[in-house]
Amino acid sequence: MIWLAWRQHRQQALAGAIALGLVASFLLATHVGMSNFFHSLGLSSCAGSSSPTCGQLADQFDRRYQGLQFVIPLFLLVPLLIGLFWGAPLVARELELGTERLVWTQGITRRRWFATKVLLPTVTAVAGVAAFAALVSWWSGFFIQIHEDRFTPGIFDIRGVVPIAYALFALALGVLMGTLMRRTLPAMAATLGGFIAVRTLVTLYVRAHYLPARTVSDPILALGGGKGIGLGPQGIGNAWILHQVIQSRAGTVGNPNDLFGFFAAHCPGVIPPPPTPPSPGRLTACVQQLGIHTVTTYQPDSRFWAFQGIESAIYLALATLLVLVAAWVVRRKLA
Amino acid sequence: MTTDLKTAAIETSALSKRYGHTWALRDCSLSVPAGKVVALVGPNGAGKTTLLHLAVGLLEPTSGEVRTLGSPPRERADVLGRVGFVGQDVPLYPGFRVREMLEMGRRLNPRWDAEVALDRIRRHDIDLRQRAGTLSGGQRSQVALALAVAKRPELLVLDEPLASLDPLARREFLASLMEAAAESEVTVLLSSHLVTDMERVCDYLIVLSASRVQVLGDVDQLLATHRTLIGPRTDGDEVAGVTVISAEHTERQSTLLVRMDRPVLDPRWTARDVSLEDLVLAYLAHPTSSTLPGPTAGPRRRMEVGA
Amino acid sequence: MIAYRLDTRSGLAPYLQIVQQTRDALRLGLLRPGDRLPTVKEVVGSIAINPNTVLKAYRELEHEGLVEGRPGVGTFVLRSLGGPNTDHPRLRRRLERWLMEARDAGLDDESISALFSATLRGSLQQEDIA
Repeated sequence: MIWLAWRQHRQQALAGAIALGLVASFLLATHVGMSNFFHSLGLSSCAGSSSPTCGQLADQFDRRYQGLQFVIPLFLLVPLLIGLFWGAPLVARELELGTERLVWTQGITRRRWFATKVLLPTVTAVAGVAAFAALVSWWSGFFIQIHEDRFTPGIFDIRGVVPIAYALFALALGVLMGTLMRRTLPAMAATLGGFIAVRTLVTLYVRAHYLPARTVSDPILALGGGKGIGLGPQGIGNAWILHQVIQSRAGTVGNPNDLFGFFAAHCPGVIPPPPTPPSPGRLTACVQQLGIHTVTTYQPDSRFWAFQGIESAIYLALATLLVLVAAWVVRRKLA
Repeated sequence: MTTDLKTAAIETSALSKRYGHTWALRDCSLSVPAGKVVALVGPNGAGKTTLLHLAVGLLEPTSGEVRTLGSPPRERADVLGRVGFVGQDVPLYPGFRVREMLEMGRRLNPRWDAEVALDRIRRHDIDLRQRAGTLSGGQRSQVALALAVAKRPELLVLDEPLASLDPLARREFLASLMEAAAESEVTVLLSSHLVTDMERVCDYLIVLSASRVQVLGDVDQLLATHRTLIGPRTDGDEVAGVTVISAEHTERQSTLLVRMDRPVLDPRWTARDVSLEDLVLAYLAHPTSSTLPGPTAGPRRRMEVGA
Repeated sequence: MIAYRLDTRSGLAPYLQIVQQTRDALRLGLLRPGDRLPTVKEVVGSIAINPNTVLKAYRELEHEGLVEGRPGVGTFVLRSLGGPNTDHPRLRRRLERWLMEARDAGLDDESISALFSATLRGSLQQEDIA
């Protein structure tokens, strides 16, 4: 049965290997250039520094490789592709061709047939996506050094182990859709929709709650030189900021985007009519008078791997459930 | 060779299958005798494919039961390893080469005789390297048959194997199938909506009509007990000793296809032998008639007077 | 080796057709004692009929004492039919020529058969008289 599963899966696996090879070549090629540029700018000595010079060099690096950074979101598609091209046709193609009448009347049970047919792409997906994720992590090293940002949605999704979990979920979803819809193209459409829906929901609404978020209060920094108000929280490193509110001693300010409006309402005269910029001294006085501070809700960077683990567990559990349902349908329901 | 009359390759008991509100098969009780070549005939939609699929475990009954080689076939690898099945339109993996199809059979079946398969493939001049999707209809059928026979099965089930073949390919396929029947004690069950080909190869008949079994019996016996009677026009009389299956009338003559319960001695009637095709057609045209094995064949039916 | 044919329109049961064709072959000397009849598999492989039909025919021939089945080896002819000289190549050729003339004259098979039967009966009567 392993032979049969491989023989049927062979082209898809080959396509995946070729795709991986192409991506690897691309990443390798670009990495050389990035490495040279990175070191020529002297950014290697900027690790962890927040000096303005480093900031400027970082900007330079960013501008030069702006285009490449758009490639990163494309990597989010990889698990989905596995679901679409390895998962959806697995059972559906067999039903479309009518070959289930051939293979289910050989000397094997449907249980063994299904288990082997699912196991093979699972193994190749784990190996392939793991290799891919490691490759991407290595390649995006320079960006990571500059931005030190790994928790942001979008970046989190292509680092660590979650891509493997997404791929297994997409695979399981594809298999189930193929089993239920019995045709490859509708199954692919359903897999596409389902994958995007679940990934969006979990990322936007569920992920923030894996562990109770922390909050921290920071005073507002009033910067001089007409640069306005700095709101950055201090001392929490590269955390994933969930949201920020600006509060006065009396309560929430409301719309942090209309801070100046708040000032104008409570500190008369602090905001002169344009084009005159507000005076830093009077701003600072107003801020102190009102007791304005930021309250930041965040997940600390140290929880990165815990979150990776929890999210992977969720997607693996979903994948297992979907596969078990598909197995049940194949054994009990399908003609 | 003698076959144990009590051994049935397939046995069903009140077997029924429903899809939504439609019954595809209703209350089907029959026994496919071992070692025989059995024809399953009936119009399209009568439930032939449903019955065959139930027998090989592709479907589960809604009610009733089916036993193949002694056991319900669903999810039983040991049963399926002893049954060779060729589905309608001969499903094969189009991208597989012929030798890969054979490899599949070898790996998925506990019993496999590679020589038998190769011999059949070679004898029909089929290239092992050719992809199954590019084979002609006749070649596909031969490959599928080779796959089924190489399992050394005790039962061969074929769903409309002749349907899309030209007359020459049909004859070659039947000859090939008969060779398999001659080689071993395998039971062959094949379905067709054409009866003419069946008469030369089958020795047992099942007629399925409107999802029910209408006729069941040994072909020789059926042909021996049925006759065409030609005689003067009779209206409403029963002919002594027969059950009328179908009747045709002209102004002065009646032609009846009857089952004789005892010899017809009435000199008014000339008796002629019937062909299997005539017999089947007569029953199909009159769904209320049936011939089933058992102590009685039911009450005598009045001859219907046609217009 | 004899090659059987099945005539689906003949009123004769298939197994009897095989018996008949075997007897004809024996009579014509195409099959001689010691010859092996084709195996069941060989017969059904060339004409697609039920193997039991062939078995039935061979059993009938065995019953008539014409053949003998030896398990594992085959079915063999035991004796021939009719007297010696049942095949006359010269007579056969003359018959074939006569048949060609008859066909040219427009006679169909039935007429030829009727003509032959009538003439045969007539000649038998003459023999009786003589």
